[in-house]
Amino acid sequence: MSADSGAESTNGSSNSNEPQKPPIEPLRLPTIEEIRGQDIWNNCAVRSVVSGVMGGGLGLFMGLFLGALDNPIMQHEMTGRELFVYTAKQMGRRSWSSCKTFAVMGLIFSTAECVVEKARAKHDTTNTVVAGCVTGGALSAKAVYHVLRPATKGWHGSLALLEASSIFGSCHDLWTISVYHRKNHHGLQTENTYREGKMHHAL
Amino acid sequence: MAGNNNIPSQVDKEQIFGMAEKEMEYRVELFNKLTHTCFNKCVEKRYKESELNMGENSCIDRCVSKYWQVTNLVGQLLGSNRPPV
Repeated sequence: MSADSGAESTNGSSNSNEPQKPPIEPLRLPTIEEIRGQDIWNNCAVRSVVSGVMGGGLGLFMGLFLGALDNPIMQHEMTGRELFVYTAKQMGRRSWSSCKTFAVMGLIFSTAECVVEKARAKHDTTNTVVAGCVTGGALSAKAVYHVLRPATKGWHGSLALLEASSIFGSCHDLWTISVYHRKNHHGLQTENTYREGKMHHAL
Repeated sequence: MAGNNNIPSQVDKEQIFGMAEKEMEYRVELFNKLTHTCFNKCVEKRYKESELNMGENSCIDRCVSKYWQVTNLVGQLLGSNRPPV
């Protein structure tokens, strides 16, 4: 008896006469701290802020890299030092502007997706599509407004038309992206789930 | 006076214990039914990840709230009208 209990308590790797079963651990329900820690991600504000910060970081690096590729027009008339200063200023300007754009985009997209998903109480791609529409419309509204403001009286109708077309375009783009995302990260819901290697879109 | 029902007799003790046991069974049954109903309603069978996402979370919140309200309402209706209509 003592030998058996000794073998069980040490959880020994040596095989005795009978196969050693791993000791069954008791069921451990999550503590309050764990639930609260997981609940942080259910908060719309926290999620959108984190997403905005990540978007800002991405925009920063992207703008930095793309701004370094800009060549000034009067390239051959500038000295080396002037070229360096010019390029550095370009990089800084572009990185800051694209940082702002991407941060706003991430913020709006994350907020819209969170709100829509909480309202629908379903985890679907429709949430992503609607959030994409809202983001595209919000981002293009300012540009459209600045373009059309000096126009004539009929600019209300054309503004609405352009806004609608920009929303449609962004919806289409983001629907495509969401389908790609769904296929690669979540696995599409198909009828032939038992057949490997044949996946088709559910439109 | 006060001495009548203070000390529960043996029969009373058994009665109380039986009622407590029934109540406990009822509670456990309610909890099991609640979890199964809301789980089958809110969580998809194809488990794509191990954490509950936000949609499922709010679905479960709503499901539990509605189930609880329905339980209370039905209990009240059954309790108030003694002869069944």
